[in-house]
Formats: sequence, structure tokens, C-alpha cells
Amino acid sequence: MPSTEQQSPLFTRIDWRDQSASLLDVRPRTAGLVLALAAVAVTFVYNHQVATTALVGTWDLRRMDWLLFVACILLVRYGVVPLVANWERSSGTVREFLRRPAGLLSLAWILGFAVLGLVGPELIGMPRVDFYADYQPPVFTTSHVTNIANVECVGPVTDAGCHGTWQYPLGTTSTGENVVNIVMYGAHIALKLSITAAMIMVVVATAVGTTAGYFGGWVDDVLMRYVDFQQTIPAIVVYIIVATMYLGKGLFTLALVFGLLNWGGIARLVRSETLERRESGYVRAARSAGASDLHVLRRHIIPNSAATVITAATRQIPLLILAQVLLAYLNLSDVRLRSLGEILNRALPPLGVGWWVVASITVFLVGTVLAFNVFGDTARDVLDPKEVA
Amino acid sequence: MSNPLLSVRDLHTTFDTDDGTVRAVDGVSFDVDAGETVCLVGESGSGKTVACESITKLIPTPPGEIAAGEVRFDGEDLTSLPDKQLTEYRGGRIGHVFQNPQGALDPVYTVGDQLVEAIRLHRDVPKSAARERAHSLLDRVGIGDVEDRIDDYPHQFSGGMKQRVVVAMALACDPDLLIADEPTTALDVTIQAQVLRLLDELQDERGMAMLFVTHDLGVVAEIADRVVVMYAGKVMETGDVYQVFENPSHPYTKALLECLPGRGRALETIGGTLPDPTDPPDGCRFHPRCPHAVPACEDGDQPAFEDVGGSHQASCVLYGADYDEPELAEANDD
Repeated sequence: MPSTEQQSPLFTRIDWRDQSASLLDVRPRTAGLVLALAAVAVTFVYNHQVATTALVGTWDLRRMDWLLFVACILLVRYGVVPLVANWERSSGTVREFLRRPAGLLSLAWILGFAVLGLVGPELIGMPRVDFYADYQPPVFTTSHVTNIANVECVGPVTDAGCHGTWQYPLGTTSTGENVVNIVMYGAHIALKLSITAAMIMVVVATAVGTTAGYFGGWVDDVLMRYVDFQQTIPAIVVYIIVATMYLGKGLFTLALVFGLLNWGGIARLVRSETLERRESGYVRAARSAGASDLHVLRRHIIPNSAATVITAATRQIPLLILAQVLLAYLNLSDVRLRSLGEILNRALPPLGVGWWVVASITVFLVGTVLAFNVFGDTARDVLDPKEVA
Repeated sequence: MSNPLLSVRDLHTTFDTDDGTVRAVDGVSFDVDAGETVCLVGESGSGKTVACESITKLIPTPPGEIAAGEVRFDGEDLTSLPDKQLTEYRGGRIGHVFQNPQGALDPVYTVGDQLVEAIRLHRDVPKSAARERAHSLLDRVGIGDVEDRIDDYPHQFSGGMKQRVVVAMALACDPDLLIADEPTTALDVTIQAQVLRLLDELQDERGMAMLFVTHDLGVVAEIADRVVVMYAGKVMETGDVYQVFENPSHPYTKALLECLPGRGRALETIGGTLPDPTDPPDGCRFHPRCPHAVPACEDGDQPAFEDVGGSHQASCVLYGADYDEPELAEANDD
């Protein structure tokens, strides 16, 4: 080490030997992450060793909830915290995003979707079967199905037509479930699935993509050939096999299988991004300053690839939501889930009678898929530094 | 001068490409003494940058490889050190400044954060102390109003200011040697002069050695103590800056100096182009373009160094024992 005596008086003199970083000198966000993950781990062990039937009272957590907890912690640590902590920098991006009508609309829809999915089912509960209120049409509409099906109309009846009421704004199903509850619960399922599966994909894709791109050579060859191979495996088939034979047809299996099999495309994007960043001036500067490979990856390559990852992940989310609905429609999902797909199956002809159940679900699905796609497009436009120049 | 700070001996750096093995640096030797400024000069593609990056093994491997040779820094052979120990030299004892300041700072972090990072890579200090140090570094390299600017992002700085920040980063841990790879090429002329002056002052102040890469002979005249002229991966001539400028001995050096504008003549150029790096010519690398080439230039390897006065050496057969003084004098009359 060079002696400090050489230092000129023009520099503030710092005696390096007196100052040494303490162990407590970790960033609060790192500490928070570790604490949160530790809390989940402790609760998990407690739940499985001590309170095996229910965690608190009658309330128990299932494996999907654990996965969701971990995903949410990671989302907060690597999504929300940086956004808020660097508000001075990120506010510009957010404002740029909101200036675009498409961005504003898609963000509003996604936020609405997230809030409804989070708190909706807690507030108004799961859809409940009610045979005294089946086939009710949505408010402001009139239906004649009540005549055929021999059911009572909750609202007023004129000219043998049943009028919808505010009690069931979107109508009810053939078994009397409120469609509002159904859509909210559908949003809840979609939200859980999107967060967990997207987080699995992001983590694996980032790890594989940056490793392959940064180290190159045979590491790159092996990882990318594996990705090629993985792309040939249809996730739906694997899900059917795993769900029916091993893990059950719940959301957990779906999130795990789709999360672990669909990251290939994102990994490729991250790899090409890494290849480019690796040659950049700041990576060379960091290496010349004595940074290790791990340090360069963590501090420079991954944060600079974040925009690509976010965009690619938002494009995967609608596919996941649709896949879940599709599988439920085909009766390949747990019926207790009350998934939109399963409702659709019963609401479509020949079983279904009212048009409103299918309409509500379709509007919700199309809107959500569109919102995520538009969000991804706008995010790319705003975040891509190449276009900002 | 028996024990130079940096001693590069017979360095060979090769790159495997689809067209064959590129011998970017092919047997280069030079020394840098403590506190001294050595300039590596040569046209684009002559291997200056690769030679510099080979010192701390910054070249991408693969495809690059240090095929042979020795890089002694303060007595330690860097080519044989494992990566982990090399990182202590990089930044800790050998600082780097690269050509393009635009890309050298990470757009994601503030300049203050990046300086703190550079300091903490080598010093086990709390953030507050590192930040204090970053503050004084920025102040010293001429970023006015540091308190305001330390939390700015790179895009809020101009090119010249960025290069000052990059210099501050390179100096963060008091290196003994600063490798500056064309640090002024990407800057406009007025800023170039400022950055050069800054580097010169900082070097005097802290007594560090500097290895300066450039193709600008004007810059060389300004700052160098000694000059190493490179061509196609080989050293053509080395010597004290006054000796080289006043008595350029190798025909290549002469040709380079002829190319300097502002001598009251039409702009001269060196005819031809650099040889194919995968298949360089036998003999002197420069002979296909050399106006003084004789048959002996085409045989064997690059000619051995001949003393042309003091520590001034040239790799040219015309200075060998087989050729007599008149020819040399005639060559110098041009």
C-alpha cells in the first residue's frame, strides 16, 4: 500500500488506519431485506414444527402464500425501495411515463387491478353460492331468462323481464354468485400468480443471463444451449404432469412450473444487454479500479439491465394470467380456486344462460392483458437509454 | 535507475480471432521510473492500448491472452498473479484513465457514490470518511461547487467535467502509477489543455509515475520525460523526449514528426497502411512503408536496438555495425 506521506497538503488528509468500516455499516435496505426474509423463514419453521394446523386462530398459510411473501419482499426491496429512494432521479422517468396517455391508462388499470386483487376479496369475501339469487342480470339491463329457468327476480319485473339491481351490479351466475366477487377474486388469483411467477422468472433470468453474458466462453455456450433446450419444453404439458402426479393443481404448481420454464426469453435479452454493458466504459473503469467480477455484476451490470428485465417480465405476465384461465377452463385447475376459467366454462353455452358473466370476465381479461402489454411498451420507450440518447 | 517502478519485458499479447491470431503486442519492453512520465506513441492500431491494458490484465480473456513476457511492478510480476491479488493493484496502486469520459461513469449512480465505491474497494473505511475524501478529490480536480455537484448524476456533467471526475476516481486510492489512455482525445481542444495541465499538476504534487498513451505528438512534447514509439506491436524507438524530438532516429519516428502540421509545408502523410496484424512482415515491421528500406530490413525479426546516444535507442538496421555513419547522416538530413 502506498504511504500516506506522499499525499500533498492540497488533499484533505485522511488517516486510513484510524478509520475502519464497522460491521454495522450496512445499508438499511440490505438489513431490511435480510430481516424480512428471516421473519418469513422463522414463521415458516414455526408453522411447520409447532403450529401445524393453523398459524393464528383458524388462519393458516399455504405454500403459495409463502412463495408470495418471498416474492413480495423481493419486489419491495428491488422495485419499490430503489424507486422511492432515488425519487429525485426516478420522478423524471415516472413523469415522462405519465405524460403518455397510453402509459397513464395502463398504469391506472394495473393499479386498480392490483388494489382490487389485494383488498377486494378481503373486503367483500369470496363468491358465494346463493340459489335464491341466480341468473340476476346486471344493473340497468333486463333479462328474460328468469322465465325459462323458473327463478325469482330480485329486482322489479316488467313485461316479464327481470331488471338488474345495485345489489348485483354485474349480475349473478347460474348458481347465484355475485359476478363482482368473481371478478375480484379472479384479479386476486391473477395478482398472486403474476407476482410469484414473474419474480421467479426475473431472478433466474437475471442470474443466468448476466452470468452467460459476462463470463462468455463455455459458460455462455452451456447456459444458452440449455435455454434453447428449455424453450422446446411446453410448460403447459409439464404443468399437467406435475399437477396431476405430484404437487396438486393449485396456483403453487402453476407459478413454480411456469416461473421455472418461461424465463428463457428474458435470460437471452439480459445476456445480450450484459454483452453490451460489459464493454462499456464504466465497467472497464470499475475493473481498472479493482472491482471484482461479482462487484461489477451487482453494482453495474444488473442495475443497468433492469429496464430490459422489467419490460420483458411485464410481457410475460398476461401470458401467465391467460394460461391460468385456460387451464381452469379445461378443468386442469383446483376447483376450490374459483378461477375465472372455471366460471367461464360453466357460463358459456350450453351450460350458461346469461351473457353478462362471460362479458364481465372477458372485459376484465382483455383489459388486464392489454394494460400489461401497453405498460411494457411504454416502459420500454421511457426507460430505454438508447432512445433518450 | 536500476530498479524501475514498472518494468515491461518482452510482452506478447495475442487475440484469437476468426481470421487468425492477432499479435497486438509482440515483444514490447519499456520501463517507467517512479515519478516519471512515459509516453507511448504510435498511430491507431499499433498496440499502445493493448500494451497498457496488459499491465493489469484488463484485456478481455478470452479472446485475449498474455502469451509471454513479464510485467514487474515494484518487484512483483503481475502476469503471474492470480486475479484476486491483481484487483489490489488495479486502482489501489495503478490507476487508469480511459479515452472516452462519456461512458466511463455509470449513469445509474451519482458521481459521489461512484467515488465512494472506488475508495471503498481498497480502503476499509466507513462511508462518511470515504465521502469526505471524495469531496476533497472532486474539489482538487476542479469541480467547482462540490457540495452541490457531488450528488449529481453523470449526465449532468459536461465531457471535460466528466473526465475530471474520472481522473478523481483513478486517483482515489493514491496510486503510484497512473495509466492514462488517450485521456484527452475525446475532448475539445481547450478542454484538452485544461485536463493535461491538471494531470501534470497532480503528478507533480503526488510524485506519481504516469504512463501516457497518445498519438498526439504535441501532447508528448508537452508532458513527456521519455517516449516509447510503437508500431504494429513493436517498439521502434525509445529515448528521452528531447533526444527523440531533436534527433528522431528511426525512420518511422521521423515520418511521424513529418506529419505534424504547421511546419510551413504541405501536410505530409505516411504512405501505405499498417501491416496485417495476423501476418506481420518479416524483418522490420515498418520496412514496407519505409523510404530508407534496404534489403537487410526484410530478413529475420525486428532489428535489435542500437544505441544512438545516451539512453536513446532505435530498432533499425541502419544504425547497426554493418552500416557506416555517412548513410545515417544522410538519412538524418531529410
